[in-house]
Amino acid sequence: MKKTAIIYLFMVLIIGCGSARAQITGAPLLSMQILSSKTLSGTAGDFVTVEGQITNAGSKPLGDVTTYLSLMDNQNKLPVDLEDWSAEKGLYIGTIDAGQTLPLNWKIHFVKAGAYSLIIIAEAAGNDLPQVSAITQFNVSPKRNLNPGQVLPVALGTPIVLIFVLFMLSYKRRVDE
Amino acid sequence: MLTHIWKKEIRGELYTWKSMLWLVIASLLFSFTSYLLLTNAELSLLDQTELMWLLGKIIIGVALLIVTIDASSIITTEFEKETAESLFLAPVSLKDFILGKLFASLTLWAAIFVVSIPYILVASAGSGLGLAFMGYVALLGTIGVIGFIFLIFGISLLYRSSKNTITTALIILLAFATPALFTSTLKNDIVSQVFSAANPIDNMFNSLDNVLVDYKTSLIDNWQFLLPLVVFCMIAFAILFLSAKRFEKQGIVKND
Repeated sequence: MKKTAIIYLFMVLIIGCGSARAQITGAPLLSMQILSSKTLSGTAGDFVTVEGQITNAGSKPLGDVTTYLSLMDNQNKLPVDLEDWSAEKGLYIGTIDAGQTLPLNWKIHFVKAGAYSLIIIAEAAGNDLPQVSAITQFNVSPKRNLNPGQVLPVALGTPIVLIFVLFMLSYKRRVDE
Repeated sequence: MLTHIWKKEIRGELYTWKSMLWLVIASLLFSFTSYLLLTNAELSLLDQTELMWLLGKIIIGVALLIVTIDASSIITTEFEKETAESLFLAPVSLKDFILGKLFASLTLWAAIFVVSIPYILVASAGSGLGLAFMGYVALLGTIGVIGFIFLIFGISLLYRSSKNTITTALIILLAFATPALFTSTLKNDIVSQVFSAANPIDNMFNSLDNVLVDYKTSLIDNWQFLLPLVVFCMIAFAILFLSAKRFEKQGIVKND
């Protein structure tokens, strides 16, 4: 009886190890890179393009591949809601053949000044573990607008000109009388 | 005679500094809005076309409010000051009387539009949409303002009281303007969509959105907004026509 129990335990251990190994070897061999890491920094209000690429380094095609961005505010240590920053945070790739490399592009609108870290995450069908790229750091400097588009002369000048016209009309009326 | 009535009204409305102060206040409002839109840390991050759209809505909104108040009193004061009787004893037809008052109210809209031109130009600088923005504000504003003037003149001839006409006209303006400011998520049901398609203010704002945000600048691309506006003008004119007929039948002294 004791012998049978040991055999069972041994078999369970073998099956367990096999299954864990299957999960690791079955994990997608996707690798992502952010290519525009050096040109990402800018000023609040700028639109920049995050350029990246995804490669299937495995020997089999991978289906239902989806990639998305994850942005982290380094100062507040909080993830950033990308709804205001990027119109499409997720990109559905579909199937990537073995050895195939595809480009990835996200247009991001810098909304708030600060220091940020960015990664690309990829998921593929039938795999529990997502794949992530290396972290890219970038800075967004604050936007300082005192006179954008010459609005100040118009905003101050138009009412002043109108007041002057009113004064002249009033003066002319008094002179006429 | 039409020109005489028009000039008389303009002299009364635009000749003194007191009667023109509203235009300075309107320009201060445009100044404040455009400066805030272009310099505020978060508002200035909006797309330029969205800023232009917001400014366009404010210009048309201010114009509608001022013209509504003016049109509500421009006819009724003739009855309240008892000048209508002497006016109609002179060789003035009701048509000339209404047209003279219409041009006087339209002059206020023209003044607001002229004052808004520098703001339109500065807000649209570099977008390539400056002329389209200016043209559509002029077109939509003129059609909308004419429709509201017709409607209010019709009410004026029925009521012959400034207080009642202003109250009714303002509540009509509010009834049209409030749903137009609702977000698109509040317009998902069929009732809201039908009302939105018929609402003149909604159509003016949606046409501006179509031109500035979606870059559909031709008149053909905007017919679905312009047509309901023209229909609104025709309905308002029909109300004015019926009201004028009733006025002619009743005479200056109302019997009810």
